[in-house]
Amino acid sequence: MDPVEVKTLSKRFETKEGPILRKKRKSLVAVDGISFSVPRGEIFGLLGPNGAGKTTIIKMLCTLITPSSGDASINGHSVVKEPQKVRESLGVMLTGERTLYWKLTGRENLEYFAALYHLQPSDTKKRISYLLQLIGLADREDTVVENYSTGMRIRLSFAKALLNEAPVLLFDEPTASLDPQTSRLLRDIIRNLKKEGHAIILTTHNMDEADILSDRVAIIDHGKIVRLGSPSELKERVKSSDIIEIEAHNLSDQTANALQSFSEISKVAVSAVDLDDNKGLLRIHVEKGKEVLPKLLEFLVRKQVSITKVSFIEPTLEDVFIAETGRSLRD
Amino acid sequence: MRTVTGIRGTINALAAIFWKGMKHYTRYPGGFLLYLILPFLFTILIFGMGRFIGGGNATLNFAARTGTTNVLVYEMLGSAVWMTGWVVVDDVAVALRDEQMKGTLEQNFLAPVNRFTLLVGISLTDIAITTSIFFIVVGVTLALTMPGAYLGLIQAFLMLLIGLIPLFGIGFLFAGFVIKFKEPYVFTQMVNLIFGALTGTYYPVTILPYWVQFLSGALPQTYVISNMRQIVLANQTLVSLYGSIFILLALALVYPTIGYAVFKKLERNASVTGELSKY
Repeated sequence: MDPVEVKTLSKRFETKEGPILRKKRKSLVAVDGISFSVPRGEIFGLLGPNGAGKTTIIKMLCTLITPSSGDASINGHSVVKEPQKVRESLGVMLTGERTLYWKLTGRENLEYFAALYHLQPSDTKKRISYLLQLIGLADREDTVVENYSTGMRIRLSFAKALLNEAPVLLFDEPTASLDPQTSRLLRDIIRNLKKEGHAIILTTHNMDEADILSDRVAIIDHGKIVRLGSPSELKERVKSSDIIEIEAHNLSDQTANALQSFSEISKVAVSAVDLDDNKGLLRIHVEKGKEVLPKLLEFLVRKQVSITKVSFIEPTLEDVFIAETGRSLRD
Repeated sequence: MRTVTGIRGTINALAAIFWKGMKHYTRYPGGFLLYLILPFLFTILIFGMGRFIGGGNATLNFAARTGTTNVLVYEMLGSAVWMTGWVVVDDVAVALRDEQMKGTLEQNFLAPVNRFTLLVGISLTDIAITTSIFFIVVGVTLALTMPGAYLGLIQAFLMLLIGLIPLFGIGFLFAGFVIKFKEPYVFTQMVNLIFGALTGTYYPVTILPYWVQFLSGALPQTYVISNMRQIVLANQTLVSLYGSIFILLALALVYPTIGYAVFKKLERNASVTGELSKY
């Protein structure tokens, strides 16, 4: 049995929307019957845009949200029937820096959570010193967290997830809002944790991070897994097309849709780069790109699009997402 | 990692929750100082109103209804117990919502620690805080007006300890409401004012309409305040008040049981609806 096994897991939220006295019930399917498993020593990436359902999946796995149907087992324990046992087997880092007590020091935060995880007090001090060293906060361990920078808080939150050396680790957007150097540090640590045999689930909307870290990636959209495989397998699927990236001003969804009239073009996605500057990015999956490019550019110029950059690029996981959903991850 | 199981693990967790709460209080002492000052301010307010309404006969009228002319001690005992209830409701219910908004509540709920342990841990900090408030507020008042009433102070303190158990049960109940319905201040302000009005904080509950007295009888503070006054001002002993102590002990069984059951139900419901994660 793998440390993580997810079977047809679903979550439907019932909400009430509208003005007072005329509120209508609405049902939102956040996660729709997903299944996957993660063996020991694997990094499993959940990749998708904001609102795709990644965080809901993580929160069901760590027992904060009860599934509407289906089940998942963590280290052999059901998240529905044995939530306490599941929590013992998990190390979790949720998004954001507000997961710590800002009025306690870095060390005090870790000591507090170590006690909640029932760690042996005689081992705790050593473990915390090791973790603070690992994330580069040893010299700031006695500073209250409110005086930490955002990056330092996220690193401490990351260390908190490693306190109990759990067999299964869940990281929700671990490097969001981190500088490149700190992101690299956390990625290196995650790779080492994999080598130690932890089963790791990582959510991200950063395609590069999913690509370089994950052994397998599940691409999530509207609560469903639209494609699952290793990053290279997934990218191989879109290699038959050329991918042209065009950076331009005055791009609109209508222009992007109009490009679909080209028979050589299979997918087009447009995303905003700079809203103030009305700057956008077109990503076009096209057959025989070099032959089509001149008439493509001519078409865009006719549509009053002001082109600033054109490039042929290697496929990324974003292109896999575009090929599967017709939308950009940044939509 | 080696873990500590069973009762030792629970005690370690309780100690950690207790010290976390105490560190918050000591690093940001404004809240504690406010709790210390408020009983005096409320008493002055009531004292002034009494003099204004009762005029020259105010003290005589007061003695006729209460059996004592020591207005200050009578009102301060009420204020101190009112503040105790205030701290418990605020700290157990509001603190939980505060943690929910900050994101730390989820972190606590992620740990393999029983929800009851979390609530009891928060309550332990409150026991330290409320008993400190009581000793300072009532101790200072007695030292100034009834020097030598140490035995009364100790018995009144024991009365408070018994009364704290059902109070925490009420705190658990409101903790559940706050997690489910948010808006903690609507609940806690309302409840604190109702407690002040119904439990005989500044006047004997016997002046209330009969049906209101029935509600007063369901609140632990009513017995605590009344018994403390009997002990300090009428030289009664804990033993002689066994009837109301028995009722308090019954409430100490009922409120925590109901409070935790409601908390668990609403918390489970919040986990289904996703409310638990909403900031």
